Amino acid sequence: MFGIWVGKWVLWILNILGKRATSLPGKVALRISPRLLEKLGAKLERCIVVTGTNGKTTTARLLAAAMAEEDAIVHNREGANLPQGLATALLKHCTWTGRLRCRTALFEIDEATLPLVAHALPIKVVVVTNVFRDQLDRYGELDTTLEKLLDGLRRTDAVAVLNADDPLARHIGLAYGKQVVYFGMSKDQLQHEVRDQMRDGAFCLECGHELVYHGFFYGQLGDYHCPQCGMFRPHPDFVGHPHPQGLTVSEGSLPEVTIALAARGLFNRYNALAALAAARVVGLDIASVQAGFRRYEPPLGRMQAFETSPPTVLNLIKNPTGCDSVLQTIRADGDTKVVCIAINDNAADGKDVSWLWDADFELLTEDPKTVRYVTTGLRAEDMALRLKYAGCPTDAVVSIPDLATALDEALLQADACEAKTVYVLSTYTALYPIADRLQRRAHSHEPSPAYRPSVS
Amino acid sequence: MNRPLRIAHLYPDLLNLYADKGNILTLQQRMAWRGYAVEIIRVQHTDDAKPGEYDLVLLGGGSDREQELVGRTLRRNVAEWKAAVEDGLPLLAVCGGYQLLGEYYQLPNGTKIPGLELLDLRTEAGSPRLIGNIAIQSEVGIILGFENHGGRTRHRHAPLGTVISGHGNNGEDGQEGVRYKNVIGTYIHGPLLPKNPALADMILQLAMDYAGISGTLRPLDDRMEQAARQAFMERRMELAPAVLQHK
Repeated sequence: MFGIWVGKWVLWILNILGKRATSLPGKVALRISPRLLEKLGAKLERCIVVTGTNGKTTTARLLAAAMAEEDAIVHNREGANLPQGLATALLKHCTWTGRLRCRTALFEIDEATLPLVAHALPIKVVVVTNVFRDQLDRYGELDTTLEKLLDGLRRTDAVAVLNADDPLARHIGLAYGKQVVYFGMSKDQLQHEVRDQMRDGAFCLECGHELVYHGFFYGQLGDYHCPQCGMFRPHPDFVGHPHPQGLTVSEGSLPEVTIALAARGLFNRYNALAALAAARVVGLDIASVQAGFRRYEPPLGRMQAFETSPPTVLNLIKNPTGCDSVLQTIRADGDTKVVCIAINDNAADGKDVSWLWDADFELLTEDPKTVRYVTTGLRAEDMALRLKYAGCPTDAVVSIPDLATALDEALLQADACEAKTVYVLSTYTALYPIADRLQRRAHSHEPSPAYRPSVS
Repeated sequence: MNRPLRIAHLYPDLLNLYADKGNILTLQQRMAWRGYAVEIIRVQHTDDAKPGEYDLVLLGGGSDREQELVGRTLRRNVAEWKAAVEDGLPLLAVCGGYQLLGEYYQLPNGTKIPGLELLDLRTEAGSPRLIGNIAIQSEVGIILGFENHGGRTRHRHAPLGTVISGHGNNGEDGQEGVRYKNVIGTYIHGPLLPKNPALADMILQLAMDYAGISGTLRPLDDRMEQAARQAFMERRMELAPAVLQHK
C-alpha cells in the first residue's frame, strides 16, 4: 500500500510540474514495494500484450483506440515498456486506496521484460509484431531475443497473435504449442527484386537449413519455406491487402473489410493488421475496430508531420529494418527533399551504432531528389561518415551535434534549394527534444505575414 | 592497368552481424577513390572457398548457431587456408570470425566448437558479456570502436593493440586482438574500418603487396573520419588530450 501512495505522490508532483510521467512513479513505487505489479495485476480481469521488435507502440495504440470504443482500459500509451512503465500506467488508474478503476489492461511490453512480468498479469492475448534485430548490446544477439519472447509466452496461457510472414515468428508459433492466430499480407504484394538489405533469420530455426523465398514484403518478411524439413509460411487467418488509403482485410470466409489509415508505409499496414487481428481475438466487432482506427493518433515520430516551412516529417529510427522501411518511404517521395538525421547513443538508443552501416542509406544517396543532409546528435559525425561511404558528396553533408541548431540549418538549406519537405530521422532519446523544437518552429511560422491572410 | 584487387567476403549469408557491410564498403571506396579497381567476391557457405585466389579475406561475426555452421564450412579446406596464411594472405577477422581462427570456442555448457587452427588461440565463453566502447593503442595509432562478446580469448601471438579503455580479448590481460603475419583478428566492430582509416589503409597496402600490385596508397581527404574519431574520443571515451596527441 505504501508503495502505491508514494508512486501516486510522485505522479501527482510530476503532473503539477508539467513533466512527462511515464516511468519514474512506477520506478519509485517498485523500489518500495517490489511486488507492486503482482498486487495490481491481480486486480485485472484480463491483460492484452503487444511485443516484438518494431511497431509495438503503433500497434498497441491502434488496438487501444478500438478497445476504448467499448470500455476504459489501462494502457502505457507513450511506449514506456519496461516494468516501471507498466507500474506507472497502473498507478494512473488506481485510487489512493489501491482500487483499480479498469478491468482490462493493454500493455506494450519490451521483449526482454515479458518473462519478468508474465506471472504477474492475467495475460489472455499476446501480439508479436515481428522479430528484427534491435539493440544488440542490450540483448546479446537475436537468438536471445527469440528465447526471451518464447520464455515469456510459455509463462502464460495466452492466444498468440503472430506474423505469418516472419519465419522467426513462425518458429515461435511452432515452439509455443498453444493457440496461435496468424496475420499476413496478401501474396500479390510480394516483391521479387531483392536489394542487399539486412535479413535476420534467413535460416530455418527448426532444422538449420537455408530458407527459400518466393518473394519478400520487407526485411525477412515474405513467402518462405524450408526445403529440408518442410517448415512453411502458414496461411494467415487475417490476410491484408494494402493500398494507399489503408488496408483491406479478409478474415476467413467473412466479407472483406476496408480500414482507412492516415499513416503511410507498408510497416504501418502491418501494424494495423496486427491490431485488427488482436481486436477480433479479444472479441471486438469490426465496426468498433473501424471507429477506433479512425480516432487513432499516431505516436510521436511515426511519419509525423509538422507545419514548418517547408513542412517537416519526423520519424523514429532504431534498427536497420525499421530504418529501411522509412528510407523507402522517403525515396518514394518524388519531390526535392532535405534529410536531417539525429543519432544519439544513450542507453535507450542502444550504445552500439554499428547498425547504421547495416541500414540501406544508399536508398537516399542514390536518389537524385535527396539534395542535402544535416546530421546531428551525439554521433552526428558517425552518421556523416556513413553517408560519405554511401557515396554522398562530402559538401552535401554537414554535421551539427546540437539538435536545435541542426534543425534550423536543415530548414534553412531546404529553403535555399527549394526543397518541398524536410525529413527528420531520429533515434529515441533525440525524438522528444526534436519534436519540441519542430512544434515551436511550426508555431513561429504560422503567423508569419507572408502566409497569413489579412485580418486587420 | 593493374588487375583488380580481389577481396573475398566470407559467408555474408551466415555472418551478417555487426555491420561487416561497413568494412567492405570502406575497403572498396578507399580503393575506388584512389583509382584502383576492386573485385568483391561474396563467398556463400554453399560455395567452395578458394584461399589461393584471394588477395584479402574478410571474416565477420554471427550468432552462435551460425558460427558453428561457418566453422564446419571453413574446415573443409583447412590445409589451403593454412598455406595461404603462411604465405602472407591478409585476413581480417572480426568478433566471431576472430574466434574461429583459433583451436576452439568453448560454449558455456563445455561443448567445444572447433576452429580453423590457423593460430595458437583459444576462446572460452564467459559471463558477463564484455560490452561497450573501446580504444586501443596499436601500430597504426589509436583504434576505436565497440565490443560485444561473451568469449574470453587468449593466444600466444602479438596482440593487435593494448587496451586504453574497454575490455579487450578477455578483460584481464589488457590485450586486444591478434596480429600474426598478415592476419588481423579483433573484437572491435562499430564497424571497425570506417572510423579507423589508418588501419583500413594498412590492410589495403598489405593486400596490394601480397597481390603484386605496384604502388603506394596516396593519402585521402580524411577530415570527416578524423572528425568522427575526435568526437567519439571526446564525448564517449573521455580520453585526456595527452592521449590523443599520441596517435
